[in-house]
Amino acid sequence: MAFFAWLEASKLAEWVRMSSEGYPTVITLHAIGMAIMVGLCVIVDLRLLGRFDGIPYEALQKLLPVAWVGFLINTLSGSGLFVAQATMFATDLMFIAKILLVFAGAATAGILQPELAKASTWPGGKPPPRVRNIAAIGIVFWLCAIVTGRLTAYIMIFI
Amino acid sequence: MHHLYDWMLTTWLNKLVLGYPWSWPTLESLHFLGLCVLMGALLVMDLRLIGFQRTIPLKAVHSLMPWAIAAFAINLITGVCFFFGDPYNYSGNWSFWAKMILVVAAGFNFLLYFFAVEPKLLRLGPHDPTPGLAKVVGVLSLTFWFGVLAFGRLLPYLGTGGG
Repeated sequence: MAFFAWLEASKLAEWVRMSSEGYPTVITLHAIGMAIMVGLCVIVDLRLLGRFDGIPYEALQKLLPVAWVGFLINTLSGSGLFVAQATMFATDLMFIAKILLVFAGAATAGILQPELAKASTWPGGKPPPRVRNIAAIGIVFWLCAIVTGRLTAYIMIFI
Repeated sequence: MHHLYDWMLTTWLNKLVLGYPWSWPTLESLHFLGLCVLMGALLVMDLRLIGFQRTIPLKAVHSLMPWAIAAFAINLITGVCFFFGDPYNYSGNWSFWAKMILVVAAGFNFLLYFFAVEPKLLRLGPHDPTPGLAKVVGVLSLTFWFGVLAFGRLLPYLGTGGG
């Protein structure tokens, strides 16, 4: 806990928590990064599940780097949000669930990226069941990450 | 306008939105899911419109349109619910009106796409570069919608809700 208290006492934490522009700036960047990362990952997942079948797989491969830009924005902005209230978040089950779901969602994107590079070798030009399963699980992870992320703002009610 | 806001406070929708501890967070979760799908679909469509991702056939980006429209519909409905729940807070906040102006601007930009850009695109080959007007419409679309997202998220911090 001392570590989280130390984080919370940092200059960055103080800026996010106390300054008039800190928290609004960081929370807005967090929403923008979420839209880019989750939005594009869900489109990629849906494509692998058979939607938008006019979009070639090689285009999906080029969308994922854009998605990772969103992930980077959210890793940075999320770190700012975390340190601002580190001792509270560190023990908040809803937040811990959200973080695990975000990393799980990102992991599905990380697994799909090299799979997409092999798209030209897929039998019948369709993603194999393993890839489709990862895409389906990815959608579920993102959906749950968003809901738990939103509920993190309502800790008082649930704990 | 106060008559309208006072009436909203008496509706069953207001009771639904405020009457249960789960209703507001549920609406917010739906609003966030909707915005992710909308922005994801828009990014793919607009980047192609601007001229990136030319491996995507122009006709194929159309298949994203129903998802974008459905996501926008979810956010319009949940957004109306928020407004009925707390009309004085939203109507007294300049960030809310900035967001609404940008939604309307994005709507006009879509009309420009529909009537002036799409007919041109239909005459192009699937992987052709896009005309200048298409690039302008694509850039404006992303600017307006990311603006909508930013002002929406900033709503609690910009301006003070009247009441």
